[in-house]
Amino acid sequence: MASTACFIIVSRNDIPIYEAEVGSAPKEEAAHQHQFILHAALDIVQDLAWTTSAMFLKAVERFNDLVVSVYVTAGHTRLMLLHDSRNEDGIKSFFQEVHELYIKILLNPLYLSGSRITSSHFDTKVRALARKYL
Amino acid sequence: MEDYPEELRTPPVSLVSLVGCPELHHAISAFLHSEQPPINTLALPDFSKISVLARKQKDPLASTPPPAGILKRDWLLKHRTKIPAVAAALFSSEQVAGDPAQWLQLCTDLENLKAVLRGRSTKLVVVLVQTSVNDEVSEDLMIALRKRAEIDSKHLIVFVQNDASELRISLNRLASIFAELCNTYYREEGRKIKARIEKKSFTSSELNVRYCFEAAVYAEFRRDWAEALRFYEDGYRALREMIGTSTRLPPIQRLVEIKAVAEQLHFKISTLLLHGGKVVEAITWFNKHIAGYERLVGAPEIAFLHWEWFSRQFLVFAELLETSSAAIPSTLSPRFGTSENPLTDWEFQPAYYYQLAANYLREKRYCLECCASMPEYSELSTKVGDVPESVMPSAYVGQYARLFEQGDTITVLLLSDSEYVSYAHMEAQRFQDTYEIIALFRKAYESFSGLKAPRIASYCGNRMAREYFIAKEFGNAKQLFDGVACLYRQEGWVTLLWESLGYLRECSQRLGSAKDFVEYSLEMAALPIFSDIGVENSENKRVYGPAGPATLSMRQTVQEEVFNLLKGEHVPVTTDGSCILHVTEDEPICLDIDLVSPLRVAFLASVAFHDQSVKPGSPTMITVSLLSQLPCPIEVDQLEIQFNQSTCNFIIVNAQKYPSTEKFTEDDQRSLVETAPSLTLSTNKWLRLTYEVKSGQSGKLECLSVSAKIGHSFMISCRAESPASMEDLPLWKFEEWVESFPTKDPGLAFYGQKVIQVEEPEPQVDLILGTSGPALVGEDFIVPVTVESKGHAVHSGELKINLVDARGGGMLMSPRDAESFSSDRKHVELLGISGIPEEDESQTDLDNVRKIQHSFGVVSIPILGVGESWSSKLEIKWHRPKSVMLYVSLGYCTNSTEAASQRFNVHRSLQIEGKIPIIISHRFMMPFRQEPLLLSKVRALPGYEHRVSLAVNAISILIVSARNCSEVPLRLLSMSIEMDDDDDSQNSCSVQHIGGFTDNAVLLVSGEEFKGVFSVTPHVDTLNLDVGTVCINWTRDSKLGSEQQDSIVVTKQRLPDVKSEKPPIVVNLECPAHAILGVPFSFYVRVRNLTSLLQEIKYSLGDSQSFVFCGPHNDAAFILPKAEHLISYKLVALGSGPQQLPRITVTSVRYSAALNTTAAAATVFVYPSEPKFNMEESKQETVSSQ
Repeated sequence: MASTACFIIVSRNDIPIYEAEVGSAPKEEAAHQHQFILHAALDIVQDLAWTTSAMFLKAVERFNDLVVSVYVTAGHTRLMLLHDSRNEDGIKSFFQEVHELYIKILLNPLYLSGSRITSSHFDTKVRALARKYL
Repeated sequence: MEDYPEELRTPPVSLVSLVGCPELHHAISAFLHSEQPPINTLALPDFSKISVLARKQKDPLASTPPPAGILKRDWLLKHRTKIPAVAAALFSSEQVAGDPAQWLQLCTDLENLKAVLRGRSTKLVVVLVQTSVNDEVSEDLMIALRKRAEIDSKHLIVFVQNDASELRISLNRLASIFAELCNTYYREEGRKIKARIEKKSFTSSELNVRYCFEAAVYAEFRRDWAEALRFYEDGYRALREMIGTSTRLPPIQRLVEIKAVAEQLHFKISTLLLHGGKVVEAITWFNKHIAGYERLVGAPEIAFLHWEWFSRQFLVFAELLETSSAAIPSTLSPRFGTSENPLTDWEFQPAYYYQLAANYLREKRYCLECCASMPEYSELSTKVGDVPESVMPSAYVGQYARLFEQGDTITVLLLSDSEYVSYAHMEAQRFQDTYEIIALFRKAYESFSGLKAPRIASYCGNRMAREYFIAKEFGNAKQLFDGVACLYRQEGWVTLLWESLGYLRECSQRLGSAKDFVEYSLEMAALPIFSDIGVENSENKRVYGPAGPATLSMRQTVQEEVFNLLKGEHVPVTTDGSCILHVTEDEPICLDIDLVSPLRVAFLASVAFHDQSVKPGSPTMITVSLLSQLPCPIEVDQLEIQFNQSTCNFIIVNAQKYPSTEKFTEDDQRSLVETAPSLTLSTNKWLRLTYEVKSGQSGKLECLSVSAKIGHSFMISCRAESPASMEDLPLWKFEEWVESFPTKDPGLAFYGQKVIQVEEPEPQVDLILGTSGPALVGEDFIVPVTVESKGHAVHSGELKINLVDARGGGMLMSPRDAESFSSDRKHVELLGISGIPEEDESQTDLDNVRKIQHSFGVVSIPILGVGESWSSKLEIKWHRPKSVMLYVSLGYCTNSTEAASQRFNVHRSLQIEGKIPIIISHRFMMPFRQEPLLLSKVRALPGYEHRVSLAVNAISILIVSARNCSEVPLRLLSMSIEMDDDDDSQNSCSVQHIGGFTDNAVLLVSGEEFKGVFSVTPHVDTLNLDVGTVCINWTRDSKLGSEQQDSIVVTKQRLPDVKSEKPPIVVNLECPAHAILGVPFSFYVRVRNLTSLLQEIKYSLGDSQSFVFCGPHNDAAFILPKAEHLISYKLVALGSGPQQLPRITVTSVRYSAALNTTAAAATVFVYPSEPKFNMEESKQETVSSQ
């Protein structure tokens, strides 16, 4: 498992709707430091997302030894992961499974698209996936 | 990059030395410098100066000591400025061809020069300077000179000085020889070094790196970039291997030296790659470089040196990228992060490296601060306290040495590591890293802003602001943080916003701006943050900034702090206590929250009237709802509701705090005071207050703002919002929270408005429009208007009349058209307003306005007391049938002082149809059983097909019928045909009234028709015969016999023009008016030839069941000019009743025209027996008329 990983889901209005620190390392940097990097990476995702039909954009930005990997869903929701591991296949699987979870959230008629994901079930699942793949 | 010495930054340039003939040096060096590639010159005016070229004397026997360092600091400079590749000795021709003494001197100079150059492979060139071409030196002397100098013949150059073209040739020759020799020299030098590398004939790895560097530099001199790059890379690799192995220096300094050399080599490699346009390779190389050295931090006390060096790598690379002209290759796949293109988009931007450089510089500063605070280190620094004073860079790159003075002798001593560390610390203290960091971030910020990457730019802006904050430049910091916070607020990144606001709050506190402090604090406290993990400890301070972690408890703390400040109970103290905020009653803090303010989340006011409109002066209900997302409940002391009509303003006070309102009424006599049981705002819970408001003046009553007063020195003024048009709270929109309505009534929550329409007061004056059915076109239609006062006196009353097309389309005619068109074009016209007494009109009273235009009129009304009335009549004339809306509005005041009283308005409207009263139609007929042959009927002229033809000088009958098509009965007074006034038309045609009219007026009820019969006799043969205009005088049939007499209206209609022509042949049928069964009667056909030609006619009579006849069936006849032919038949009727005569057909051969009689003309009534008529006369009259 990666020692540092910050996972965030950004809605199509550029608003973060889910955030989780999924790294195993003790938190030497707070979540928002990672968020600064992820937020800055949105710029590059915005350009990149339209150049490809693939959902998984792989590593889009490096910040020191941290890498930002992005997965863009069809609805232009972006799953962004800041990590230090190089296990690309694992990250891809992680994104795909989280995407499935996200779709399940979307199917909930009580969930308003674009609003914050507060489901604890979702949170638990995402953390389990992070342990499994990252 | 600017810190690097010049020789490192620019590519090396070959050097030649000129000796002798100083007057030529300038021209030659300028020329050589402008050559491509340029050659630098080392000019020595005479041979006494050649010692500078001399080599340092080394004892050849002494064994070479192990190298003291990797690269000599001045080696590159030396080769660029001191050691020439070519030495050129310039001699003038006089010196060569002159007297022996001169020759001897020349030989000596040459020998000296050769001696100096011995041991080097510097090439020697002898230049023979001639003043002109003719000034030639003999061949023998030339050979002698060449032998003396021991050079090839081509290295002896003749230089012609005084001829411009020859000078040019000579210079070119010189330059090409120099270039060639330089190339040879540097190749030879390079080969020597390369041989050493290949043979590995070096004793230490330092020498390996040095040789690689030198070989690369020689290759650079030759402009062999590929080779240079190869050797630089070899050197770099060899250096990287040295890190673990070398033991020459103490470990700290060793690492420093290696890094310094690596930096130089890397710089050279990057420069060469970028100049070669290999951007991707350069970036890949840079990444490799960074990866290779990142972990080599070294001892913790000098970690800062590593980070400084590391940061410089990024900075230099950024500058190289920025100055390099190489663009990103277009062949590069746009897919970043793939195997063929592992680089990201940003890695091609210098800004990316600036930003990283700044980040590492921060790291450096952090390490430095850590060092300073470490107890063991502070001991160390005090112990070593005596920082060696005269530390300076030593002869080797990356090394430092100390000058040790003992008496007169100065020795250079190496430093110990601890000495070096304290020296490095001392040096580091001298620099203001913060400003360096800010400058770097600013560069990145501006660059990213230019690249339309606002987010990463704001990341840089945020970092920049933090540095300003650290540097205690709070003004700058605040400005930057404001910009950054704006983006985070807009995109809803709450955690980042929290962080920025925390800094802003701190900045405004330091700046002493209590208002800003309160604003930022309230915004922070109202952010949607619910997590409550995160422990605060001192370690996190660096990470979190002044705001601390974003948690619910911190929000509560922030709110408590700010409210304590506002209550004056407890003032938050800054860490250094330098600036303390003051909030006093004298300077209360007023926050203005408008529709776009971020503080809407902290305080939101929604105001809804329960009704949409209200009568003036009557009460209506209003609900004021307040919402706050602040985590702790707020106690409001007083609410002030303000309207656009200030008389409606009222105050709500907290009944618990102010049990009696007496005190308030004294204070604020103008405002109404209401009480509420509690004015406490809980988190996300609407506080709904419903009160009664008495509406003031008519018009719009709008709630402007709701101001909450908290304590004595704080007031929040919040713009009132309608529930119907209320925007969601920006950051809370997507949160999962219970959403409630601002009002209890959900309908009101969706449709409620903060505006209510106060109706106009009820007028007590009646305006009556009388009407009498539809208007008729042409008449002056009268509409009586009556103003009746029923309770109000009418002062300065004004009646406005407006006519508008009922089917839409606005005015009947635009005002501009009204001037340009004649009155005929106006369809409906307001002619006048009667009923105003004459004497009033004659007075030039300004108040008595009376303006009438064709569709608009204004009339002033005299003063009317209660119960009085006034009436007038509107005269409207229709020119065309049209439906019109008549709008009449009365405006008046109840008393004469206009300003004070209110103006009342009464509006009435009436739709009036304008209709055509009479439709006139006409018909021409020939006399009975007379048929003139009109040639135009046979051959129609183009353009006149539809025009009726009449025979000239023959009587035609004109029947004019007038039909009443309106609903009202009309009385027809007369019908006549008027000829136009001019003589022509009167002469050309005569029209006489024959019948169908009596002297009495005829009453025409709706739909009835009246016919007038006229005879028309054209006198001239023309295509356009004017028959005249039908004039009908009519009037409405006023059965009621009212005193008002309906005026007589004339309706005119011009009859269309007819053709008149002379008929060549006229056929008359002659037959008795009736026949009797079995009694024979004669039937004649009379054909008259009116021409002066012989006319041939053919005729035939068809058989008929009802008649037997005698006479020819078919025959032909010739008619003499101006004569007539009579065809006669005898007929006996066989059946009674109306019977068709046998069908006669007369054909004119000349005109090929046949006459077919009409059915009416060929019908005769057959009596079964002789009838008995009472009125013999009338019968005879009828027969004769036929």
